[in-house]
Amino acid sequence: MKKSPNKKIGYTVFILAMLLFPALANPKWLAIGSTFLIFSVVGLSEDIILGKGGMFNMGHALFFGIGAYTAAIANHTFGIPILYAIPLAILIPALCGIILAGPIIHLRGDYLLVATIGFNIVFLQLVENDIFGITGGPNGIFGLDTPTFLGFDLASPTAIYYLGVAVLLLTFYVMANLDKSKAGRALHYLRLDDLAANSIGINTRGYKIFAFGLGAGIAGLAGVLLAIQYSAVSPEAFNFMQSVLFFSIVLVGGSSLPGILMGTFVMFVLPEIFRDFATWRYFIFGFAMILAMILRPEGIFPARFGKIPDYFKKG
Amino acid sequence: MALLELKNMTKRFGGLTAVDHLNLKVEQNQIYGIIGPNGAGKTTAFNCITGIHPPEEGAVLWQGKEITGAPPHKVAAMGIVRTFQTIRLFTEMSVAENVMSGRHFQSNQRWWHGICHTPASRRDEKENWLKVKEALEFFKIDHLAAEPVGSLAYGIQRKVEMARALVSEPKLLILDEPAAGLNDSETMELVETIYSIRNQGVTILLIEHNMDLVMTLTDYITVINFGKPIAEGIPDAIQSDPMVIEAYLGSEDDDDE
Amino acid sequence: MDIFFQQLVNGLTIGSIFALVALGYTMVYGIMKLINFAHGDLVAMSAFVGLSVYDQFLGGTTNSLVAVLTIFAATGVIIAMAGIILERVAYRPLRNAPRLSAVVSALGASLVIQNGIMLIWGPRMRFFPADILPATTWNIGGVYISFIQVVILVVSLLIMAGLIFFIDKTRVGAAIRATSIDHDASRLMGIDVNRIITLIFVIGTFLGAVGGLFIGLYYRGINFNMGWNYGLYAFVAAIIGGIGNIPGAMVGGMLLGIFKAFIAGYVSSTWADAFTFTLLIAILVVRPTGIMGERVAEKV
Repeated sequence: MKKSPNKKIGYTVFILAMLLFPALANPKWLAIGSTFLIFSVVGLSEDIILGKGGMFNMGHALFFGIGAYTAAIANHTFGIPILYAIPLAILIPALCGIILAGPIIHLRGDYLLVATIGFNIVFLQLVENDIFGITGGPNGIFGLDTPTFLGFDLASPTAIYYLGVAVLLLTFYVMANLDKSKAGRALHYLRLDDLAANSIGINTRGYKIFAFGLGAGIAGLAGVLLAIQYSAVSPEAFNFMQSVLFFSIVLVGGSSLPGILMGTFVMFVLPEIFRDFATWRYFIFGFAMILAMILRPEGIFPARFGKIPDYFKKG
Repeated sequence: MALLELKNMTKRFGGLTAVDHLNLKVEQNQIYGIIGPNGAGKTTAFNCITGIHPPEEGAVLWQGKEITGAPPHKVAAMGIVRTFQTIRLFTEMSVAENVMSGRHFQSNQRWWHGICHTPASRRDEKENWLKVKEALEFFKIDHLAAEPVGSLAYGIQRKVEMARALVSEPKLLILDEPAAGLNDSETMELVETIYSIRNQGVTILLIEHNMDLVMTLTDYITVINFGKPIAEGIPDAIQSDPMVIEAYLGSEDDDDE
Repeated sequence: MDIFFQQLVNGLTIGSIFALVALGYTMVYGIMKLINFAHGDLVAMSAFVGLSVYDQFLGGTTNSLVAVLTIFAATGVIIAMAGIILERVAYRPLRNAPRLSAVVSALGASLVIQNGIMLIWGPRMRFFPADILPATTWNIGGVYISFIQVVILVVSLLIMAGLIFFIDKTRVGAAIRATSIDHDASRLMGIDVNRIITLIFVIGTFLGAVGGLFIGLYYRGINFNMGWNYGLYAFVAAIIGGIGNIPGAMVGGMLLGIFKAFIAGYVSSTWADAFTFTLLIAILVVRPTGIMGERVAEKV
C-alpha cells in the first residue's frame, strides 16, 4: 500500500515544518504551536470515534480531561514523576471510555450525542466540586513537577513542543496501523451500515466500545501533554465547549489525517491569529463554520476509500 | 442430521404474525428454495435465522445445536451468511474493501493489531486481501476492485454482495431474492454462479420470485403464505400443487412489487 | 414539607420555561431531524430584544397589560423572523448534506447569534425592571407564589394546549405531521415542504421567545451567553421526553424543572448539573428514545 508521491511530499513537508517551527516562532506562537499539536492528537482520537466509527461523541473533552487529571493527581498527590504517570493516564481514560460507552453504545445518533455531553458535564461538576479532595476544585491543580527524562530537564517550551511532535507522530503511526487492520475497517463498515456489518460477522457493539477505548486512551495521552505544558490542570480546559471544539475539528476538517490537522488549524489556530479582532472574531468565525459546511459538507479533506493493495492493480 | 432446521419458528410484530410455526429442514449441499407471495414472511424468516429479529417461539437448529436468538455476528461466524433483498453494501467504499468485510471473522487479527501490527498480522492482512482477489476473480469483477461500489450498476452490486458473503467461506449461504433487478443474461449468469458455489460444498437457501429460476435451480422448496408453510416438496411436485397455485393466483392482485 | 411545595412551585415555573424552549428543539427535530443548537441563543436574544422594546418604547410603563402584550408581540415577531433567516442561511443549504454537517452549521449559527448579542448589547449582564409586572406574592401555608410564577405557568399551559390542538386538529397540523414522517411523500401529496419548515421555525422560535421573555421577567438578570445553558437544559428536556414528540417535550420540561428544583432544594445547586445529567443518562439507558419517544425498528 504505497502512498502516492504527492502524499509523500505533503507529509515530508509537514513534518519538516513541524520540526523547524520552534526556530522561527516567538514564545507566544511556540505555545500555540504546542497546543496545536496536542489538539491535533485529541482531534485524531475523536476521529476514531466520530469520523471512523460514526458515533456522535460530543463529550470527548471528558477523556482528555481524565488523562490530564490522572497525570496531575499522580504527580501532585502521589508524587509520581509526571512522565511515569503516562501509562496510567492512557489506561484510566481508556477504561473509562470502555465502561462509560458500554451502557450507552446502543443509543442512536442524537441520543448518544446528548449522553456523551452528559458524561462531560457530570465529570466537570465532579472536578469542580473537588471530589475526594484531590481535584483542586474550580481552580484545578497547580505547580506540577516539570518532566525529566534520563536526567534531561524537559521544562523548556521548546522541549515540550518536541514532546508534542513525538506524540503526534506516534498517533500518526497508530492511525496508519488502524487504517490497515481488520479493526479499523470494521469501524468504517459499521458506520456505513451497522446491520450489514453485523450480518457479515462483525461484532459491531464490541468494535464501537473498542473505538471509545482507543480514542479515550489517545485523548488521555494528549491530556498529559496539556498538563505538562501548563504545569497545571483546571476544569474549564475540559468543559463542554472544548468537546464542541473537538467535534467540530473532525467535521470541518474531514475524517482523514490532513483533514484533522486542517480542522485543528481552522478551529483553533485561526481564531488565535485573529485575536486582535477581539469581539468580532467569533461572530465572523461562526459564519465561517456555516460556510465551510455548505461548501464542504464532508469536511475539507474527507475520508478517501479505495485504498487497496498494489497486487490488485493489474499492470 | 439436517444442516439447518427450523422448528415451529414464530415471529410476531405487534398483532401481526409474520412467521407462523414454520418448520423446515435444509440438508447439506442442497439448494433450498422458499417461495410465497409478497408479504408472506419469507424475509422475516431469514431475519429470524440470522439473528436480526429473534423469533418469539420455536427453535433454530444449526447442525443439530440450538442457536435461536444468537446475535447476527455469531450466526455469521458459525457459517450462516446472507445477502439482502435491498442490496446493503458499504456504498462509499471500494468493491475490494466491501468484499474484504467478508473476511472479517476469518482473519486472525486481534483488536490490538489495530494499534500495532506484528509480522503475523501483516501476513494475515495480505492473505485475506488475496482471498478477496480470488473472490473478485471468481465473480469476474476484479477489474472493478478500486471502484466505489455505490457508482456501479445494480447487477454488479449484486455480485459484490454475493462475493462479500462467499469470501467468508460460509457453510450455508442465504440469498434473499438474488435475481431481483437482474436482466435475463445476468440471471443466466447467476444460475451458473449458484451452481458453482454449491459445487464448492456450500449449501444454499434462497428466496426468489422468478418462478422459472426457482424451478430450475432448487432441489427442494417450501411454499409459505401468511407466515405459514402450505406446501413443500421437489419443484415438480410444487408446480402442480393446487394449494400453491391458489395462493399465487389469489394474491396476484393484492400486491406486486 | 414547606421546602417540598416551595420547590415544586419553583420547579413548575422553570419547568414551564424549559418546556416552551424544548418545544422549539423538538418541533425542528421532528421535521428536519436536526438539533438546532442555535435555538438557545435565539431564546437569549429574545430577552434582550424584549428589554430593548421596553426601554425604547415603553420606558417607565408599569403594571400595564398593553405594555406586556406589546413586548411579547414585538419580540415574538422579531425572533420569528430571526428564526426564518437562520433556517434559510444555515440549514436549508444543508438539507441534503450528511446530518452532522448541519450540526456543525448549527453550532456556527449559535456562535454568530451569541456574539451578535454581545456586539449589540454588550458583554455585561443586563436587568429587566422589577415593575413590568405586579410584584405581588401570595403566601399559601408557608409557600410563596409570585404573580409572575402564576403567569408563566398559566400562559405556558395555554400555549401548549393551543399547540396540541393546532397539530392534532387542523389541516396545517396534519400537513406538519405528514412532513415529519416523509418529506418526499408529503411533497407528492401537494404539501409545500419548505413552507411547513418555515412555519415550524416560526412557531418554534416564537415559543422560544416567550420562554426567553419569561426568563427575563422571572430571573431579571440576562446575559449574552445564557442561551447555551438554557438551551442545553431545554434540549435535555426534549430528549428525556423523546425528541420529535411534542407532548414529550412538555412532560420532559416539567419533569426536568421539578427535578432541578428539588436538587437545589435538598442537595445543593452546585450538584444540579451532575444529578440532572446522571438522570438523563439513566433514562436513556432504560428507554433509548426517551420517555415518550417511539422505538423504530429498522426495516431489512
